[in-house]
Amino acid sequence: MDKMNVKKILSVITNQRAVLAIVITLIVVAFNNNNFFTIYNMKTMLTTSSIYLIIGFGATIVLVAGGVDLSIGFNMSVSGVLAVYLMNNNVPISLAVLCALIFGGIVGAINGYIVVYQKTEPFIITLGMGISLLGLGRLITNARPIVAENKAFLNISNGMIFGERLNLIYFTIIMFAVVHYILRYTSFGRNLYAIGGDYEVAEYSGINVRANKFYAFVLSGVIAALGGVLLASKFGTGNANYGLTTGFVIYSAVVVGGTSFAGGIGSVPRSAIGLIFVYGVLQNAMNMLRVNSYTQMVMTGIIIATVIALDSYSRKRIREKV
Amino acid sequence: MTRQIRLGSVFNTLLKEYTIVIGIMVLVLITSIVEPRFMTSGNMINIMRQFGPLILVALGMTFVILAGFIDLSVTGQLFLVAVIVMKLIDPIGQIPAMLVGVAFGGLFGYFNSKVIIFSGALTQAEALFITYGLSTAYIGIGQMISNGKTMNMSIDLTSSYSMFQYVGLGFIGPFSISFVIFLVAIVILYFFQSKTYMGRSVMLTGGNKTAARIAGIPIYRSITIVYMICGIMTAIGAIVFMSRATTVTSAMSIGLETDVILAVVLGGTYLGGGRGSVLRTIIGALIVILISNCMNLLGITIFWQDITRGAILIIAIWLDAQKNN
Repeated sequence: MDKMNVKKILSVITNQRAVLAIVITLIVVAFNNNNFFTIYNMKTMLTTSSIYLIIGFGATIVLVAGGVDLSIGFNMSVSGVLAVYLMNNNVPISLAVLCALIFGGIVGAINGYIVVYQKTEPFIITLGMGISLLGLGRLITNARPIVAENKAFLNISNGMIFGERLNLIYFTIIMFAVVHYILRYTSFGRNLYAIGGDYEVAEYSGINVRANKFYAFVLSGVIAALGGVLLASKFGTGNANYGLTTGFVIYSAVVVGGTSFAGGIGSVPRSAIGLIFVYGVLQNAMNMLRVNSYTQMVMTGIIIATVIALDSYSRKRIREKV
Repeated sequence: MTRQIRLGSVFNTLLKEYTIVIGIMVLVLITSIVEPRFMTSGNMINIMRQFGPLILVALGMTFVILAGFIDLSVTGQLFLVAVIVMKLIDPIGQIPAMLVGVAFGGLFGYFNSKVIIFSGALTQAEALFITYGLSTAYIGIGQMISNGKTMNMSIDLTSSYSMFQYVGLGFIGPFSISFVIFLVAIVILYFFQSKTYMGRSVMLTGGNKTAARIAGIPIYRSITIVYMICGIMTAIGAIVFMSRATTVTSAMSIGLETDVILAVVLGGTYLGGGRGSVLRTIIGALIVILISNCMNLLGITIFWQDITRGAILIIAIWLDAQKNN
């Protein structure tokens, strides 16, 4: 009897974990800090998390299709480096940005090709891709941040529309709508759910599983590159080291939101909640409560481990029921 | 005619099977021709020294991979164990500090495996993320203990650290101490893998978890044991590492996990689990060290080395998967 109750509580926690986590954090902070619930702080929170939200939407596409691309972090930073590098060598802004996006797409395509068409496990492959990308980024920048000489580039992220510097939030809303539409209302998106749910069943139902999954990787790569361009524009610099932990943390945040690690389950709004929690609320709350950076590191690690453990635990229960 | 075809196909299989090994041999050959320093005894000792920590951790990781899992937390564990040992030398003495460090390694491994077993994370993907999270936590704890400072044996210790100097620089006959530790470890681990019931259980767990469980193989005990072996080997690696460097900093283990996985995979242990051997990992680790040694001698920048390492990792797994398809 006691055991049943524990299981029930755990199941509620696993299903509503992101909302629960946000509520708990908000309560803790509300008692300790008066500056948290201000419009200014809310804006800061959304702007800092916006770029990771965008990349996280891309990660959702791959995760729903039952894949993982851990190289998105370095894809982001190196695409930003590439855009800045090209601009500093007198390439017009629009062309440089386009090149960066194409670069991101190519990285996604290489990952997708090796993972999907060569039937390999995506984790270590994309980890290896990440190392190569980091090397490439450091090679281009000589391991130093490079500053964008063309200040017009900074307007992409920091420009003023409607009298406020909220470009990043507008970008996030647009990407939210686009990716949500793709996953929800196009046959491509629906196919990805089928592929992630059961690869073989999807194949037997006549879905071109390989092509669809391949394009999921490409799309995620392009979106990561877009995030990289926005990040470079926000700071006015390209830095190969920006993406050191991004891949792991973004995927964990997406899983916090409720997109399952096993594929086939999840949506963009859910991911958005998870990403806002990890990159917005939690980060901001820890800074507000003056938690030192090492403790923050421990917290982040524990959260990643706990989240993935709870996600597998929810599937363990389903497995045991059958 | 038929004979020619057969020869051709034999050559093809050989080429496929040993693509990377052949590639590395070419690299070594080029280096030894272009760079006379490669074949000097100084460089050989250098290679043997680098062999130490990497191979020790890689031997532990081999078991985790054989069981069909992965352990990214070696990065965090190595640093945290080194910090703990460093902090304990003054209060409890050198040898007790080393032993406590090794015990902590086993404890971390035990903890990792319990988290994985409790959550039912029986795929490599889940284990990858969980151990990455734990690794971050271990590094954070290590930083909290050391206040984020680099600790130096000659500055921060009041008592002597002669044992560590001995481990770092000493010789027994013609062999360095780290090499002797490696020899002892490989004998024990090879015996465990091939001659004991638990060793065979680990292999079967990696082959097919569901089938192994139904057949009555103690898969949960296997998982605990492989993670504990990995933790203990990482702790020994940490002690060898800090003995040689005489400093402890969080930078000491950066990138360790990829080098270790690369060593295991290049040796020919199947990443999916079930097939492979600790003996193969020796070759793998040697290859990893030769790659960086040759590229250093040829004057290739660290950036290109990173690019190459990532590419080799991808190609190794790709070829391995092709073999299995």
